Amino acid sequence: MDKGTEPLESLRREVRDWLEANAPKDWRAACTGHAAFLDTQRGWFAKLAEGGYAVPHWPAEWPGGGRTLAEQKVIYEELARADTPRLLLSFMSTYHAASTLFEWGSAAQQAHYIPRILQGEIWCQGFSEPNAGSDLAALRCRAERRGDVYVVNGQKLWSTMGQFADKCLLLVRTSSEGAKQAGLTYLLLDLKAKGVTVRPIHQIHGDEEFAEVFLDDVEVPVADRLGEEGQGWAVAQSTLSSERGLTLMELSARMRGSQWRIADLIRASGREEDAGVLRDFGRLATKIDAAVAIADQFLANRIAGEERVGDASLVKLTYSRTLRAFTDLGVRLGGIGAQYHEPIVFGGGMETGNWMADFMNSYAWTIAGGSDEVQRNIIAERLLGMPREPKGWTVGAAA
Amino acid sequence: MTLTRTELEEAARKAFEGALAEDRWSMIADMGLLMAAVPDARGGLGLGGEAVGAIHVELGRALVSGPAIAQMMAIEALAGSDAPAELLDRAMAGDVMTASLAADGTLTCVPDADRASHMLVAEPGRVALVPLDGATITPRETWDRTRRLFDVAPSDDRIVLAEGSAADALAERIERLMLLALAGDSLGGADAILTLTIDYLKTRRQFDRPLALFQALKHRVADMKTQLAAADALFRARAAGQASLVEIGALKAHATTVYRAIAEEAVQLHGGIGLTMEHHCHLFLKRATLNAALGGDADRREAAAGREKLARAFA
Repeated sequence: MDKGTEPLESLRREVRDWLEANAPKDWRAACTGHAAFLDTQRGWFAKLAEGGYAVPHWPAEWPGGGRTLAEQKVIYEELARADTPRLLLSFMSTYHAASTLFEWGSAAQQAHYIPRILQGEIWCQGFSEPNAGSDLAALRCRAERRGDVYVVNGQKLWSTMGQFADKCLLLVRTSSEGAKQAGLTYLLLDLKAKGVTVRPIHQIHGDEEFAEVFLDDVEVPVADRLGEEGQGWAVAQSTLSSERGLTLMELSARMRGSQWRIADLIRASGREEDAGVLRDFGRLATKIDAAVAIADQFLANRIAGEERVGDASLVKLTYSRTLRAFTDLGVRLGGIGAQYHEPIVFGGGMETGNWMADFMNSYAWTIAGGSDEVQRNIIAERLLGMPREPKGWTVGAAA
Repeated sequence: MTLTRTELEEAARKAFEGALAEDRWSMIADMGLLMAAVPDARGGLGLGGEAVGAIHVELGRALVSGPAIAQMMAIEALAGSDAPAELLDRAMAGDVMTASLAADGTLTCVPDADRASHMLVAEPGRVALVPLDGATITPRETWDRTRRLFDVAPSDDRIVLAEGSAADALAERIERLMLLALAGDSLGGADAILTLTIDYLKTRRQFDRPLALFQALKHRVADMKTQLAAADALFRARAAGQASLVEIGALKAHATTVYRAIAEEAVQLHGGIGLTMEHHCHLFLKRATLNAALGGDADRREAAAGREKLARAFA
């Protein structure tokens, strides 16, 4: 074994041993409702934090932090391999909130918020709005400064896990002058504050992973602002780029590990000798391996400092299309059986074997986090150098 | 020799730059590309599957004609047996020794047989080199003019390289190399025609703007790029790793499918000029479809991959 990989392999053994003793077993069967989902998520996060594996991406001064990207990769590979629950509930807190606080937070803000995240405080993101999705900078949620507080009014949409969250990363408009990006400000909102209403969004597969947040004269102390007034767009970029490519590597590895579900389906339906079915399965398996390979390659390039603008979009688009193909084959092979409604597993991951639910859930990756169409624009314009569309198109101009 | 894979890749790319569909046989031999996979001890460069793959990516990028894939198969067989060193040395130096790329046991789809001294023949339980002196060699005109294929009816002379289980193992290595080479050739060609297409869209103007400004076209190009990038990552992973023969077959199927899709789109995105003989779009489209047909079709390769996955799931 070469010297460079030896410490990583020793970490791998250490994590694997720890998971064998500590990973929850049969957790999917228990996750039939939100209460059980929250219990599973909270319990597993606390356990991981105690084991020192919950926040490997944090700076070294925090317990469990200071891991290199290569070490983080090993930890996530092992978590995927052991089929542990993905950390859905704490994801925004440990990545988006923490990374933004590390980059933009004052010493006082970090000292206040970071330890609480490690103790399980849950954050959500308040960026999107009914009329600001892919075009985020068009957001209109208004904050007005009155002495030591901002008074906020407006509506936020698609806040992942918002209904279970304690705090919210809130992007608001403090000015309508100049470029639309220049009038934004970044606030840390306590969701228990007066005037906040959070409602879950019922998705087409029956889960409620997202929420909408209504803000009615909500007061946010000026001390809870990140960066300066008008600097919100720059702060938000830190939030959006906080995740370092590990998620898609982990998700691709989990997808590869879930192929047995298709194999099960082929056997259960007695189609082991059906050449068409075998061909489709072989084709899918090859595409899955390609998705794993490009996610691995991306991370390796990042570790080596060789990432190009647009590479992340290639990985996300590959994953989202492959996941759709995976769940689509499940629905097809599942036949009428897949059409009978089965209760979903809350937080069960992208591949649960409840095929219609998995298929519908796969839209989470073709739409959320920058839709496939946004990724295609990024690939075409930034990676391939095709010209951007001129700005300033309006309905009036078209007439 | 201390040539690395990257050096080889860059040298090959430079060597073929600017050429399209030309025969660069003496250059290929002089650069040592044919001996890349041959162990040091037998006079080769001792490079692994990744390097061999990279060479074929570059050959495919420039649509280089000639029997490089078949020649490397013959060399792999010679290096993997105790055939006389003289034969191996001749083959590495560029004396043409060819092989069938048909993958169905027939002696068809043999590149450049008319200028070959020998041909590799892999039969069940026996791998042999056949002198082509007394052979009947029939040219088969293909749509793809970047390759010259022949049917061969050889004489009964055989220089036996391996027999029994050793022959089967050697035949597997040869097949593996063929599939990897066809996959690499396809990804190189796909990358070249995609780059040409993007350049064309940036230059060609209609409705007072470059075609590259139209989102409908941008999105198609982005999809082409994404398919290619993922296939390329898979290619590198499988060429370097411990993939089974069936997985290499599925890789070849995937790479040729992606090549075909990109070459098809390229003709469409070039519009009228893409339909003409003077433009090079058609060269890529034809090589893509030929690559898809050589080495066994995608449907069977993919079905085999599905069968292997299924067996492993219940192992």
